[in-house]
This record gives sequence, C-alpha cells and structure tokens, in this order.
Amino acid sequence: MSLFLFKKSKAKGADKESSLGISRKYKLLPGRAYVVEESPPDMSFDAFANLINTHDEGKKPVGLAVTRQHPDLVRQKYGLERTPIYWLATKTGPDVIAPTNLGILTHTLINFVEEHENGVILLDGIEYLVSNNDFPKVLRMIDQVNDHISQSSTLMILPVDPRAFETKEVALLERNMERMPGVGGI
Amino acid sequence: MVTLKILVVDDSEAFRKVMIELLVRAGFHDILEAESFEQAVEVFRRERPKFTFVDMILPGKSGVEVTKSIIAIDPSATVIAMSSIINKTMIRQSLDAGAKDFLLKPTNAIALSSVLEMWSD
Repeated sequence: MSLFLFKKSKAKGADKESSLGISRKYKLLPGRAYVVEESPPDMSFDAFANLINTHDEGKKPVGLAVTRQHPDLVRQKYGLERTPIYWLATKTGPDVIAPTNLGILTHTLINFVEEHENGVILLDGIEYLVSNNDFPKVLRMIDQVNDHISQSSTLMILPVDPRAFETKEVALLERNMERMPGVGGI
Repeated sequence: MVTLKILVVDDSEAFRKVMIELLVRAGFHDILEAESFEQAVEVFRRERPKFTFVDMILPGKSGVEVTKSIIAIDPSATVIAMSSIINKTMIRQSLDAGAKDFLLKPTNAIALSSVLEMWSD
C-alpha cells in the first residue's frame, strides 16, 4: 500500500515554465533552504514564481510547490502552467497530500531533489503540518529534506508565520536554514 | 537620499501609498502619482521621471496603453509593469510595448530594490 502511495506521490510532470523575459529579483543559492518569516506568504510565492520564470546564467529552474492554498488559485495568480503543485488538505484526490502523511510528503520532496537539477521547492503550510502532527516530527521531516537539498542544486523556500511558533521553534527551523536575504526577523 | 524621479501609476490609492512607502524606505523621495491613463501621460510629459511603475489593469485604457504612450514620448523611459497576477500574455504585451521588467503586486523591498538597481544607469 505504502509503495503504491509513494509511486503516486512522485513529482511527475515537473517541467520548466515558459520564459517571461523579466529579470531575476531574488539572489538565492542552490543547495540552500531559506526561511521567510512572513504572513501571508506573498514574498515566498513571488520569489518562487520569479525564480522558475527566469534564467540564471542560462539555467532555468524547474519548480515544485506544496501549499495550503488550492492549486487552481495558485496557478492562476502566479501563472504556473507546468509546475506540479501539491495541495496540503484532508480531501482525497490527485496531487493532494494529507497533512498527517509526512512520509509521502518527504518522499515527494526528496524524489524531486534527486530527479531534477536546478530545482526550486516552495514548502508552504508548515503551520498546518505542525497543527496536524507535532513540531519535532515536522522539523525532522524538514531536516531530512534539507540534507538532500544541501548536496544538490535545488533550493527550498519555506514561508513561516512567526505568530504561529515559539521563538525557540523558529530558532530550531533556522538552525539548518538561512533567512531570506533582506528580510528582517521577528 | 537618491534624487531620481519616480512615477507610480495605479488606480488604487492604497497601493500607491504602499509603493511610495517602499520607495521612501529605499531612499527615493521624488515620487509622483497618477491614477489613470490620462493623468499618467500628463505627469510623465511634464516631469519626465526616470522610472514609471505602471499597473497593467487600469480603468479605461490599460497599462499596456500607458506604456506605449510613455515610450512614444520618450523611448529611453524605464517603464516597469505591475500586476497582482502573473498573466504571461499580459506581461509579454507589456514588454513588447516597451516595459523593461515586471513586478508582482504587492511587491516588497527585495524585488523593488532589485528592479531599481537593475535598470538604473
């Protein structure tokens, strides 16, 4: 059963977005994971959309988004035509990951890291994951994904609503990640 | 303090205020506002700002029309298209009309500074 679910969750169809001819606004490095303390996660989504719609030294990244927002709304607002978007929700359906199923989520993200060069992951909805699990479990999942990212050309953007976490928890999140350059802390 | 003249074209007063605040924080103080096609063209013709940030969706004539008119007045003008959604067709129309770049609304200090740095001479 779990093998079947793992296969289903694989980030199939991840493809590059068509070129827009606009400039790259965010100087984020491959192999890093960035925490963005903000609510709503506007800057994180803007950075994600900007990175996967622009070239950097001829390399155009491919993206994968995990979000609490409905994928149709995300596609419409950010003009994402080819990027896989997974919806964190309790509803069943294609491209839906249950918030309690951290195994599937971890597997999906690690698969994406292993299978794509110059990947960009947006992991939105950490607060929702924590409310459905517990903080240490979610932190372990993020650290596990981050271990793979740090040895790859993929980068990850992790929006965090600082109001939803204790200061210590934010510090633990940032222990193995970086703050988005230019963004102030709590 | 930076003495570049900047024009913000948007029918939303709230958004113009946000942009002005971001620009002031970035060190720009000579900021002009317009809320329509007619006002934008009039202010641009009179003041010749270095940067013009244009919302693509305006009542009446669109941001693409504003861009075309500004470029017709001054082909060296730096127009930055803005919109609250990434509509690829509309962005390409704006770039074809002469806009140099695009910013997603609501923008932020990082994206705005990047654009200003990128297109400042």
